[in-house]
Amino acid sequence: MSRYIATRAIRGANTVVAEAEALLKAAIADLGPDTPVAFTNTAYFLPVNLAFMGRQIAKLSDMVPALEDAKRLLHPVPPENMWVPYLGETMDSGMATLLAEEIIEGIRFARGQEPQPITWDGTYIPTANFVTSDPMAKAGKRMNGPIDDIQLRAWGIQLVDGRMPGFAALIGCAKSTEVAVQIVRELQQRSILVFLSGSVNGRSIIHQLMEAGVEMGYDTYIIPFGTDTMATIYPLGFAARSALTFGGLKPGMPREILQYNRARVFAFAIALGEVDDLKYATAAGAINYGFPVVADTVIPQILPTGITPYEHVISMPFDDIEGKDDIERARKLVQRAIEVRGVKIKVTEVPIPVPYGSAFEGERVRKSDMRVEFGGKSSRCFEYLRMAPFDSIEDGKITVVGPDFDQIPPEGFMDMGIVVEVAGRKMQEDFEPVLERQIHYFVNGASGIQHIGQRDITWIRISKAAADKGFKLEHFGKILYARFHADFGAIVDKVQVTIYTDKAKMEEWLAKARQAYTHRNERLAGMTDDSVEEFFSCTLCQSFAPNHVCVISPERLGLCGAYNWLDCKASNQINPTGPNQPIKKGTCIDANFGVFEGVNSFVQQASHQAVQDVSMYSIMNNPMTACGCFECIAMVIPEANGVMVVSREDPSMTPAGMTFSTLAGVAGGGLQTAGVMGHGKYYLTSRKYLSSDGGFKRVVWMSSFLKESMKEEFKAVAEREGDPNLIEKIADERVATSVEQLLPFLEEKAHPALTMPPLF
Amino acid sequence: MTPAVQIPIEKWTGKVREITLGATAADGGTRAKTVTVGGENTLPFLSFEGSIPHSPAVALEIQDHYPNDWSPLLKEYWGDLLRDPAAWARKAEEVGADIIVLKLISAHPEGDNTDAAHAAATVKAVLGATGLPLVVLGPGQADKDNEVLVAVAEAAKGERLALGNCEDKNYRTVVAAALAHGHLVVAKTPIDVNLAKQLNILITDMRLDLDRVLMDPTTGALGYGLEYSYSVMERLRIAALTGDSMTQQPLICTVGEEAWRAKESKVNTGVPAAWGDWKKRGIHWEVLTASTQLLAGANIVVLRHPDSVARIKQTIASLMAE
Repeated sequence: MSRYIATRAIRGANTVVAEAEALLKAAIADLGPDTPVAFTNTAYFLPVNLAFMGRQIAKLSDMVPALEDAKRLLHPVPPENMWVPYLGETMDSGMATLLAEEIIEGIRFARGQEPQPITWDGTYIPTANFVTSDPMAKAGKRMNGPIDDIQLRAWGIQLVDGRMPGFAALIGCAKSTEVAVQIVRELQQRSILVFLSGSVNGRSIIHQLMEAGVEMGYDTYIIPFGTDTMATIYPLGFAARSALTFGGLKPGMPREILQYNRARVFAFAIALGEVDDLKYATAAGAINYGFPVVADTVIPQILPTGITPYEHVISMPFDDIEGKDDIERARKLVQRAIEVRGVKIKVTEVPIPVPYGSAFEGERVRKSDMRVEFGGKSSRCFEYLRMAPFDSIEDGKITVVGPDFDQIPPEGFMDMGIVVEVAGRKMQEDFEPVLERQIHYFVNGASGIQHIGQRDITWIRISKAAADKGFKLEHFGKILYARFHADFGAIVDKVQVTIYTDKAKMEEWLAKARQAYTHRNERLAGMTDDSVEEFFSCTLCQSFAPNHVCVISPERLGLCGAYNWLDCKASNQINPTGPNQPIKKGTCIDANFGVFEGVNSFVQQASHQAVQDVSMYSIMNNPMTACGCFECIAMVIPEANGVMVVSREDPSMTPAGMTFSTLAGVAGGGLQTAGVMGHGKYYLTSRKYLSSDGGFKRVVWMSSFLKESMKEEFKAVAEREGDPNLIEKIADERVATSVEQLLPFLEEKAHPALTMPPLF
Repeated sequence: MTPAVQIPIEKWTGKVREITLGATAADGGTRAKTVTVGGENTLPFLSFEGSIPHSPAVALEIQDHYPNDWSPLLKEYWGDLLRDPAAWARKAEEVGADIIVLKLISAHPEGDNTDAAHAAATVKAVLGATGLPLVVLGPGQADKDNEVLVAVAEAAKGERLALGNCEDKNYRTVVAAALAHGHLVVAKTPIDVNLAKQLNILITDMRLDLDRVLMDPTTGALGYGLEYSYSVMERLRIAALTGDSMTQQPLICTVGEEAWRAKESKVNTGVPAAWGDWKKRGIHWEVLTASTQLLAGANIVVLRHPDSVARIKQTIASLMAE
């Protein structure tokens, strides 16, 4: 906690509470104690005092005990040479400030001084939901005053359902009118409510916006509350009322109301211009709600996370912000404020000149319809997504480095690299490949664009029709920006895309990308079941196999092949209540079979008691169940002392006397059958493949499709197993479709399973 | 003498939540009566095993636009009432419905695309015509649902309507509207236990109390997936009774909509003579679908034909009799 901030906030609180007391005394003397006090068009009395203290202030005399509440929260200003943790005192002072400020506004209402009169050459025509009888307001000579209850509900619904990301309180006066307008526009663009108050040396952002002719009111999401700091109490009252209306909370539950705001109301304050004691004290009040403060001047920062979810106070001296002009600086200031509060941006449309949707995913672009291609036979193309430090990238920045394809002859080709950089509070390096693989689906969604492959074997075609409609390279960036925000907003806060066609740059980044691919491969290879604490469940298929639970570990991917351990981890971040839940391994009951206490208890509960025990690495002893989506079925062939593996692509007869589709009935449906198991193709290459039953060497028969399509992978497995010719010793449907044919083949090849310990 | 048979009794630890639809003047609404469903701690109608404090309720569905695609049998019965939701609701109450389900079909963007104000006015008119609790369903297109239901929620503040459908795509707005104006929601998921649970969790996460959430697990009509939805409902109910808090919501089933969509009930041209009398067949279709859903655990069945209402009420009465 900054001693400087604490001192000034505590001092500010003491001053404002004393001021409130003096004003109250005078008001009671002038008007009488029974004079009614009410904020207009709200049923929440003075909402901050109501919410936090449970006080229903309806007349001046009700304010006397309310002011006592505020006084109890005051603390002495820390003496010159004392350094103690001031956080509690500062937070108390902040709350006292809010109570007192609201009392002062209440007194002003009683005196007819609120909403604040506009005394200068400007007008504000409120677009309120009620008709006022006040001639000054009718003439546009008053500020807004408290937000009325009808508007509270209308905006509240949008804030709660996420259509409106949050609100920003702008307090003070911007560097120039131009900057003020830019800040407001940046916020408006993101559907963030803009609440205005405060001034510096008599000049307020409200003056600036009025001079610039910016339209204010409920319809434009810009509300001027008043040109003093006190008026900031209205946004904070709005936040307190939201908790009462939408949080099901009752007045007098301060802790719950503040926590509600911290978790659900995405608000932040930007202090424009010099920060005085009262502003510090009010800011301390806002921090109570979990709302951070960003100042455009030099002030001490409070960076550690605590009461606010991220940083508390950030200083971004305006002229020091990197940018080519004030407009760009304003944009960066807003961007930073949004990050600090963790406001999520919603992108609903993909702004490209061709239709976009999943219906276009399977589209092919033939050579003759093609405008240009990247990758394939004649050119190179890669895509690379990496995590970047938060401050090093700019959200929404899309750059094309090098020429576009307009100089390329029709049906021609060129080199291209797509580099996506993302940053997010919840982003992890492990998610890079998970997100990178999405590029394929995202790009394919555009009509007239074909995307095949991944990494440095990416192959993209743009059709003539798409090029004619104006599709350019930058549109790849627009697609990726929009889709990553829309689909992965839970882990991604910023997305920046750079497209390289410049030869030197493209090659430089291709080298970087290849380095990263290698690094990832190594990381994946090094990731073992022993190295992690958690596995993940997948219950996506319970809609048709109600008692089946997939347990996915680093060394055993989902039986459908679509989900590996990292996918599940990312999916759980994105959808914490979804089908991929973390499973704590717990005590290892049997390392050989792969039996874990945590896995068993999870499976028992998620299978509705249908399955009691699961061995991760055995086909004989409580094998994992299957839904029906398996890529392969493994089944024991007792005569051969081994297992056969048939793939979904293989329609032929197997030595088990059943085809894949007949076997599927035995293997699926969530039933545990010893000797039969459904699994993913890549599980075959895992060190943990049937490891308790003897491992990959048990495979005596395998569909030729698998042998051909995973040639390289199996070569590596054979080396690992110490038998480089192992794959040739495994029969397939071309040499054996019955046990009678299988056994002589195995004898001839001297398959290791024949001499392994008996399976039974 | 009857032989002494020991009836096995299952001891359940959980219980279905009790939910009240509608509010009378005493509670800030204008309904003449309210309907409470749920509260049972045993499987449907096994009164020897546990307690079933409330009978399942029977609702009739009405729409705010002439239902062009409805079976001629339904059009014949209701006649011109189909053009006037308020009169239709009044008649529905007369023929014995416990609840009115109003579907704001005219707001559909591919139909008349009527606006929020129109929806609010319709709901007001229906509330004025009947004293029964109301379930209000949007046109079934997420954005438009949000638009009209928010307006309806505001116009009918305090009435404890059930607003629907609250689905994966739009639950946030509907829940927020219910929170702001004191209504219930209908949480609809496509025949899946886990999705139903997940939606309840997400709704709770927005702080709507679970005693304000009805579950619609999606109905399949006789011959069109009935056994599928039966199985999902049964599993939801068993989960509820074994104590899974997120599945303990009363179930509402849109029987009429599904049963009257079947070829067997909808049309009578080009069908085999062996199918018999069309009208009887149509009613049978709806009644059989409804009674099966009741046996699976439905707490509210939404019907379209008054003859079915009479028969289902009779069925419920005999099953509830001691």
